[in-house]
Amino acid sequence: MSANPEPPKAPAPPPPPAKDTFTVIFDGRPVEVPKNLNLIDAAKLAGVEIPHFCYHPRLSVVGQCRMCLVEIEGMPKIQAACTTPLKDGLSVKTTTEKVRSSRAATMEFLLINHPLDCPICDQAGECTLQDNSFGYGQQLSEYDEAKRQYPTFDRTPIGPNVIADMTRCIQCTRCIRFCQEIAGTSELTFLDRGGRTLVWTHDGGPLANEWSACAADVCPVGALTVRQFRFRSRVWYLQKTPSICPGCNIGCNNSIEARENVVYRFLPRLNPDVNDYWLCDHGRFLSESLNLRDVSKATWREAGAVRDLPVPAAVDRIAAEIRGAIETKGAASIFFLGSAHLSNEENFLLRKLADHLACPNRDVVVDRGKPRKIKSQKGWITGEEAAPNFRGAREMGLTPGRGGYGLEAVLSGKSAPDVVIAADAEFGAAADDPAAVAALRKAKFLAVAARRSNALTRAADVVLPAASLAEKDGTFTNLQGRAQKFERAFLSKPPVRAHWELLLLLAAALGWGDPDWTPAELRARIAEEVPGYGDRPESELDGGRLLKKGDFAWKGAL
Amino acid sequence: MDPVLTARIAKPGSRGIDGYVADGGYGAWKKVLSEGWTPERLTEEVKKSGLRGRGGAGFPTGVKWGFIPKDTKGKPVYLLCNADESEPGTFKDRLLMEKDPHQVVEGVILSAYAIKCRDAYIYIRGEFYDGARILEAAVAEAYAQGFLGEKILGSAYSLDLTVHRGAGAYICGEETGLIESLEGKRGQPRIKPPFPAVSGVFGAPTIVNNVETLACVVHIVNRGAEWFAKIGRNEKNTGPKLYCLSGQVNRPGVYEAALGLQLKDLIFGDAYGGGMKDGRKVKAVIPGGASANMLTAAEIEDCPLDFDGVAAKGSMLGSAAIIVMNEDTCIVDAARNLSKFFSHESCGQCTPCREGTPWLHKVLDRIEEGAGRPEDIALLERICNQMANGMTICVFADAAIAGPLSSVKKFADEYRHHVENKRCLVGPRAEAAAVTV
Repeated sequence: MSANPEPPKAPAPPPPPAKDTFTVIFDGRPVEVPKNLNLIDAAKLAGVEIPHFCYHPRLSVVGQCRMCLVEIEGMPKIQAACTTPLKDGLSVKTTTEKVRSSRAATMEFLLINHPLDCPICDQAGECTLQDNSFGYGQQLSEYDEAKRQYPTFDRTPIGPNVIADMTRCIQCTRCIRFCQEIAGTSELTFLDRGGRTLVWTHDGGPLANEWSACAADVCPVGALTVRQFRFRSRVWYLQKTPSICPGCNIGCNNSIEARENVVYRFLPRLNPDVNDYWLCDHGRFLSESLNLRDVSKATWREAGAVRDLPVPAAVDRIAAEIRGAIETKGAASIFFLGSAHLSNEENFLLRKLADHLACPNRDVVVDRGKPRKIKSQKGWITGEEAAPNFRGAREMGLTPGRGGYGLEAVLSGKSAPDVVIAADAEFGAAADDPAAVAALRKAKFLAVAARRSNALTRAADVVLPAASLAEKDGTFTNLQGRAQKFERAFLSKPPVRAHWELLLLLAAALGWGDPDWTPAELRARIAEEVPGYGDRPESELDGGRLLKKGDFAWKGAL
Repeated sequence: MDPVLTARIAKPGSRGIDGYVADGGYGAWKKVLSEGWTPERLTEEVKKSGLRGRGGAGFPTGVKWGFIPKDTKGKPVYLLCNADESEPGTFKDRLLMEKDPHQVVEGVILSAYAIKCRDAYIYIRGEFYDGARILEAAVAEAYAQGFLGEKILGSAYSLDLTVHRGAGAYICGEETGLIESLEGKRGQPRIKPPFPAVSGVFGAPTIVNNVETLACVVHIVNRGAEWFAKIGRNEKNTGPKLYCLSGQVNRPGVYEAALGLQLKDLIFGDAYGGGMKDGRKVKAVIPGGASANMLTAAEIEDCPLDFDGVAAKGSMLGSAAIIVMNEDTCIVDAARNLSKFFSHESCGQCTPCREGTPWLHKVLDRIEEGAGRPEDIALLERICNQMANGMTICVFADAAIAGPLSSVKKFADEYRHHVENKRCLVGPRAEAAAVTV
């Protein structure tokens, strides 16, 4: 029996030649860590938490919050972990009394001027100051003076999407460094000095870069908050679901934060190869659009009147129209239109259905959008398509088959299908273009699935109520060819169904497929049948990691 | 000791290059070039002289120069003359720059040569408007006479010297804060390592030397390292030194003496301070600028004013700014005043300093204003102790606590009197009625 509470000190193994790791000793325990890591991240790998505020894996190291203090063997003074270069044999102590009291001192200093207005602060619940205070601070402070105030610098918008409140700021400079080093726009800076230091825009101009809300993401406290989310929900009520941004074909990994079937916000999900820790404002604020719906039941237009009817009945009628067209004019009289907003699984189903019916007329289109940029760890990525999955939809086979035609031929009047099946009423800008809709309407029968009404749904004979991105799962293939999975955040409200469910119903009504297939089973079929989809590593299918605002201390999130 | 650094300051026209040259000025520079000294020899000479940096830290100058990597990987080497003299109580560099600017310029040129520097800068504090103007004129004269510029005096060596004015921040006297400021950034100290000698201004090897340090180099070259090393109390504290005497003495001012002058001689000597004003007694002395621990009257006995002598007393020579306080000085008020300065000058990047310096000031202010509480004394010590010793990037916080912490320890009775009686023990407000809060 040993009374020694310290873990046994194993001697460091002799270093193999030219290894790319260092042996770092954490509280007496030697751990092999990659050479290029910051000590804070190396500790994380070793399962040792070093609390911090100003350190961020993608921003330059400034060592100024003084929270990550540790003892380094051979150094008389306490050291900031983030500024301590890794080296072989480095011995780090994180549990000594000196470390404990130094961190408590920093916490006390940080809190003396902090308003402690957590009950009305959006950051509460995902606040690093709260977490570190709980973990490393002390309950009481002897500070008895007036707290610092920042008249005119509190609760003030500093840009279209970010509200600043300098009373809460802990001067970590993450936001300044984000704008300087990631966005490259350098809007933010320190003003004044000492205890009067504050973060603001240089000239009072707006913080209006394309990623401005990321400045609020990296803020470890509630000094910068996202305007659209302010006072909307306490964060602990929000359920996080891994998803993919629908804003463009970069396919940024995000998480849907929802509560009671309402999407409240998107947050970035770490994927170093795609969006890293970031999201652009355009994509981020599409979150709100997922809550929009005015098509919530199946409708049937007959003799100028619009009637509601159950979804299966509506699907049966579509099937009947298709069968009728095939019998009278053959399968070539049908046109199937997929969508770059639908998942691979859904577009695959549509193409398979067309194949089953021996119909060569199928297509998918995409709109050119304003170029969106995001900085992956390897560099900038630019997405120029206004939909997330054009590449995937094409790869699922949505191109005109032999002897078939595509959307262009239909819109120009060159081809005139009798039946048009548009799997997604929001397939592109054409769906709201009167001329295009009129061209599609020339068909005797026009069926669409939709969430929001538009010119196309108003012209359609049958409209099926379809789920939003938050209400289904599937994969999008981004511009890099990465098939990325998104998951269902909540169930759609009946009779609304996911597009793939509607397509399976239609397929069954036409005597093909199995209505019990799931997206996972469809993915397995895609893997078997579609070139390039069979040998995808699981990491690409599910690459991102969940992040929470301000805090990146997730195990393995390097 | 005959004056060395201040030999010319009282002469009429001491600023002009003609008078300087007539007095043998730029002789050291001509000597180095005509005798074919290598930079290494010059560095060796400075090492042998025992010259230690006059800016505050007292680091051996020649050794510092030696930290420049042998292979700079194609990067230029920079010399920065630290003329930011902003330590409260310090006004020696100002005297040199305003009265004998060519001595400073020649010192810069020699030192730049020693470290193979092509571009040197004099970073002068923003408030020294006259100094900047005078130095700029001196630099222009030196160019005109061929002591600066391309292929100086027919040699292969070229040097450009630029005077750069700061914007008025104490922290820009810290060498990495100075470097940031010179680069056009906010004046904030950098994380070390890397040290400036490896990666300083513009990412290149950089040496930062104080004005007085550089002026000393002129005389080391002129009169030899051995001559220099013989001046001073011992072989570790060599050369002439400028002392800035202020406070309640009869003759405050800059005095030159051999390093190691007795503190009591400086205050009471006829050649120096000439004793205390109105015959009052010494209560406390700050021996090295606002960043140095206070000494009590007892501690100034046998206190040689050199790097090791003052360190042995638990304080530091720093910039050799000796601030003398008499028995009528309220020590809490003095500490409050110091803390106000540091609260105002903290750059604000590190949490303990940004938050601690104003807190210290607020507590000292409260005590001084008669609203102190008995537990405030322990609180002061606690705040101080959790600000310094590695808690921050630079040593500003260590400097900020020096005055308050040393006074709390050494004059505890006076602090207690304040919190118990709600007024000063001595000074103009000692008799004032207790303040009710």
